[in-house]
Amino acid sequence: MQQPEQLTSLLESLASLKLTLVALVLFAALVVLIYVRDDLPSALLAAPLGLLSANLLAAILGNRSFRRQAALLVFHLALLTLVLLLAASRLSYLKGSLELTEGEEFTGTLLESDAGPFHPIDTLRALRFGNLGFRIDYAPGPLRQGIRNQIEIRGPGAVPHRIEITDQKPLILSGYRFYPTGNKGFAPSFNWQPTGGGEARIGTVHLPSYPLHEHGQAREWTPPGTALRIWTMLEFKETILAPDRWSEFRPPKEHRIVLRIGAQRWELVPGGIVDLPEGRLEYRGLRGWMGYTVFYDWTIPWLLAACLVAIGALGAHFWSKFANKPWNA
Amino acid sequence: MIELQLLWTALVLYVVAGSAAIFSVVWRRRPERLVLTLMAAGLALHTASIATRWERLGHGPYVTMFEILSSNIWSLMLAFAIAFWRLPAIRGSAAVVMPILFIMMGWIMMADPGDGSLPSSYHTVWLFIHIGFGKVFLGATLVAVGLAGVILSRRTALGLRWFERLPEDVRLDDLAYRCMAIGFIFESLMLVAGAIWAQDAWGRYWAWDPLETWAFLTWLVLGIALHARVTYKLSPRTGAMLVVGVFIVAFLTFFGVPFISTTPHKGAV
Repeated sequence: MQQPEQLTSLLESLASLKLTLVALVLFAALVVLIYVRDDLPSALLAAPLGLLSANLLAAILGNRSFRRQAALLVFHLALLTLVLLLAASRLSYLKGSLELTEGEEFTGTLLESDAGPFHPIDTLRALRFGNLGFRIDYAPGPLRQGIRNQIEIRGPGAVPHRIEITDQKPLILSGYRFYPTGNKGFAPSFNWQPTGGGEARIGTVHLPSYPLHEHGQAREWTPPGTALRIWTMLEFKETILAPDRWSEFRPPKEHRIVLRIGAQRWELVPGGIVDLPEGRLEYRGLRGWMGYTVFYDWTIPWLLAACLVAIGALGAHFWSKFANKPWNA
Repeated sequence: MIELQLLWTALVLYVVAGSAAIFSVVWRRRPERLVLTLMAAGLALHTASIATRWERLGHGPYVTMFEILSSNIWSLMLAFAIAFWRLPAIRGSAAVVMPILFIMMGWIMMADPGDGSLPSSYHTVWLFIHIGFGKVFLGATLVAVGLAGVILSRRTALGLRWFERLPEDVRLDDLAYRCMAIGFIFESLMLVAGAIWAQDAWGRYWAWDPLETWAFLTWLVLGIALHARVTYKLSPRTGAMLVVGVFIVAFLTFFGVPFISTTPHKGAV
């Protein structure tokens, strides 16, 4: 017989407004702590959010006067929905990055990614689109202006068609948002023919981002099926992005590619060939590469809706609270 | 440059208006129409200054520290001028509010008025919406802090004498609470509009960057202050101290973070 009383007492304690304040202060303190200390995960915020949710649920269940204030109730229910949606978001989101050379197709592989445990990664792996090229103007400075990136959507199940994406207009495929970024650069393209008649392979080397690493346009790479370490550097004298006038990101009109393997060194222009014991390397030319970020979160429209309902309900609550007494009373 | 001449003239008018408001409290005179006229004239010149700079640079006042200070002095002055005009009973709180604005005016005179470049991620209507909501929030908080300042000043004999013409503390506390409630709505809207902008601009709606973190902390502290009123039926004095606390956190968010950090928003530059 005592169980309902104990339950009621527990519910009252859990619904306490003082507990709300404690949880809010704890929440704020943890936000500061996580902000100051990079090693602490933001997942720690789940603790005060869980406490606030339990507190709110208990208040809704146990406090009749709270339930009678419709707008205030809707506000708090929307907050509860927000917390649930954020939890769902953390379990199923994906963010990552990739780089595509001009003319290259995205085949579902990311350079870096971070995803929730229930993210359906197979959907991403099935997506296909091609980077047809991009244009980025620079104002004097040089200061980057907007990106205009031509994309061809190729599948799955899509009729191939072209669109332009920009800094603020991503490519959206199956809920994945692909954004072009200021991380882009030059990509020397090579043809590798292994000794002994194996299959020839075409590949590109993504040199460090330009103009961020303007004076470090070199990278080491390994031809497929070999243990060679080829150091590759782009050399040109032309000023691509002028500090005193408008310019455009583009490959230099004249350039050389410097290759080094140990003490051996070669300088190549497009069409140049290097014969190695492991195979023949032909330099085909220079293109651009574009870095993309990819973001997936199915909760976004629902989060926005919950936020707007919460704010609208709170506005209605305050309106009804203050409307009875004029400001100038 | 004409834009700077307009701005300095506007600041002089604000300072004269503020000084007149302070003297009116100290000597218990009522030059309220003069104060309002000076504020309005200052705002007109300040608007012209911002418009001239906007036209010349092709972007609004939200890139450099100078521009952030200028646009916020303008919006705060506008918010307080509206309160001063529409709520005659609280006009004496100008003696608290104007010195706060004087600090910002002193700061802008030391800031570099040079041109800044507009990052490509700033070319979006959501930037205006985000900033607009933020300005309403800070304006409402400024009016509240003026009232809170009056309540706290009344703990002293001098303050009691200076602000004797203003309504009693309970009434001022209620008005401050209303302003904080308005501030909470607009701070919430600012966060949502900012998240929409961030999603468009940088491919994520939230990343705990310095400005996002501090703006969220401001929202939390404001929420705590509003909740504390409901929980404890606070005295006007305690309520006023909470208002001042919220304003300090908001001030640090709006001006401290952009002052300290070169990229307050990740990816902004």
